[in-house]
Amino acid sequence: MSMAKYTVRRLLQAVPVIIGIATITFFLINAIPGDPARILVGPGAPADMVDAVRAKYGLDRPLWERYLTYMWGVLQGDLGTSIHYGGAPVLDKIMERLPITMLLMASSFVFAIGTAIPLGILSAKRRNQPTDHISRLVALFGVSTPSFWIGLMLIIVFSFHLDVLPATSLVMPWADPTTVDGAATRMDVLRETFIHLLMPSITLGTLYMAAVMRIERSSMLEVLKKPYIDLARAYGVSEQRIVRKHAFRNAQLPVITVLGLQLTSAIGGAVLTETVFNINGMGRLIITAINNQDYQLVMGTTLFFGVTFVVGVIVTDLAYAWVDPRVSYDTEAS
Amino acid sequence: MGTETSDTTETISRRSSDGPEMEPEPADGEGPEKVEANVGWRYTLSQIRRDRTALIGLYIIGFMSAVAAFAWIDSALLDYAIAEQFWYHPERDPAGTVTLLPPVGFENVFGQGTWQHPLGTDHRGRDILVRLVYGSRIAMTVGIVSTGIGMTLGTIVGAVAGYWGGKIDDVLMRIVETIYAIPFLVLVIAFMAAFGRDLTFAMVGVSIATVPVFARLIRSRVVSVREEVYIEAARAVGVRDRDIVLRHVIPNSFAPVVVQATLQVGVNILTVAGLSFLGFGAQPPTPSWGQMLAQSRGFMLPDPWFSVWPGLAILVTVIGFNVVGDGLRDALDPNLRN
Repeated sequence: MSMAKYTVRRLLQAVPVIIGIATITFFLINAIPGDPARILVGPGAPADMVDAVRAKYGLDRPLWERYLTYMWGVLQGDLGTSIHYGGAPVLDKIMERLPITMLLMASSFVFAIGTAIPLGILSAKRRNQPTDHISRLVALFGVSTPSFWIGLMLIIVFSFHLDVLPATSLVMPWADPTTVDGAATRMDVLRETFIHLLMPSITLGTLYMAAVMRIERSSMLEVLKKPYIDLARAYGVSEQRIVRKHAFRNAQLPVITVLGLQLTSAIGGAVLTETVFNINGMGRLIITAINNQDYQLVMGTTLFFGVTFVVGVIVTDLAYAWVDPRVSYDTEAS
Repeated sequence: MGTETSDTTETISRRSSDGPEMEPEPADGEGPEKVEANVGWRYTLSQIRRDRTALIGLYIIGFMSAVAAFAWIDSALLDYAIAEQFWYHPERDPAGTVTLLPPVGFENVFGQGTWQHPLGTDHRGRDILVRLVYGSRIAMTVGIVSTGIGMTLGTIVGAVAGYWGGKIDDVLMRIVETIYAIPFLVLVIAFMAAFGRDLTFAMVGVSIATVPVFARLIRSRVVSVREEVYIEAARAVGVRDRDIVLRHVIPNSFAPVVVQATLQVGVNILTVAGLSFLGFGAQPPTPSWGQMLAQSRGFMLPDPWFSVWPGLAILVTVIGFNVVGDGLRDALDPNLRN
């Protein structure tokens, strides 16, 4: 089977999962007690006004009808409208917040992978030496520390005591320089972006870093034990070349799997990180939506997160096949 | 007759898999039942005892469990009698204490730390140490109970799906994958928004979110154990499917589950802390570590210590579970030891 065919089949397999996510979130959210229309118009409003709002958002119709309408809308890419944001389309709200969360997640990925892979390899190469012990300790603390607490500690040290880094919000790299504090040129904006991203990325990336470092280390050790590495050594290939040329690529397979699977916890972490740093991304959007019983917005964001994860796993599988040519596209079929 | 035969088969297979690492003692003399019942755990325990890091983890877990048990007994049975008699009430605002006091040996704008409040006081003048102690109830209980529920349900689902395969497998695993695809924290928050913000729902929500982890794990093991010769033997002798799954498939797939369960308690404690931090979980005035961190956010500049302690408590507890989990993995599967 070709790569393209494999991709298509994996995407098709994802469809029932996505339908499932939409269904679960729909019924979960609609089990919320309380009346969103009542919340919107306020407790003192007359009954006919509440009814009007209810009719406007289709809340007066039976559950199954709302479910079918919703699913039909989802199929057409319509996630409904947000009650809290005055009837704005949910998809628009998501698209407005998405780049912010993407930027945050991407930069924390870069931080995590950039530190974890070299440290993991170093740790494996110098097994049971001080370097190894230290990086294993770092990894242990990384998986055991609540990410949001790291954020709080960073704010206390770097914002409040040393006063070198800003504690709130992000600056988007494409922002207009005139709207950014203390920036006159594009370069200034980029610098501000970087400075604002530092602490949130570390906060969100630490767990990721630790997880990747652990798997990188054990995977590297595993590969370095293989006979073909012994053979390379016997031929007198330098240790550095062995790691770089012979072991590295083969050791990345479990790492890729972990990267894909950690995506869900990264999304959860983004919710917390955005709360700590007051970043108006997807994470805070979902919290706002839940606190205001904005049904459609909660469903839309949850569904969106779910789809992101499913796509992430598929990308992981494809990356897997790309890194390891031995992975046959057919194995899944059997 | 049938089960007896398969018991022996199981023993043999265990011996062959654990063989080289085992102490020689059980091989001679003792009856097969005894060997089957004891070797795994005795061996694991002796391994753990030799692993100094894992031992530290065990001490941490033991200590935290004792603290949480004390807090439960005092609050649920004695209505905070011990706390009030010898200490401070963890929930009530005391009269006349200074708010946001620093720990002993430090000074801030509110005053000098004293031994009366070794870790300082919070924004309402309550002793931080006493609140940490009573907050441990929530972390430990939710962490352990939700992992237990998730593990039990996940094991059943995974074993059924893996053993019978086919349509059942397809349907069950699709459901599991769907739950797995919704981010853990978001799933629990959505669940709690629907049913309620208090602790019970946090526990149920985290349990549900834990199920896929174990279902996937045990399924992948069962699929390979299913093909082992001793399972085939049991089937040939006429053991019922249910008994095969309960007595042979699950026990032989269980080692990684034990490891995962230990690590999962840590993950769930972190999740519960995160939930409380966002306002989902034990509601004030009941103390919980995540909630204390949320409260401390407003006072990070004048009294940073308030933010330090609850986080440290979470960190230490989770490290305990992670270290023991790693130790168990090394003990149960020597091939993975690095």
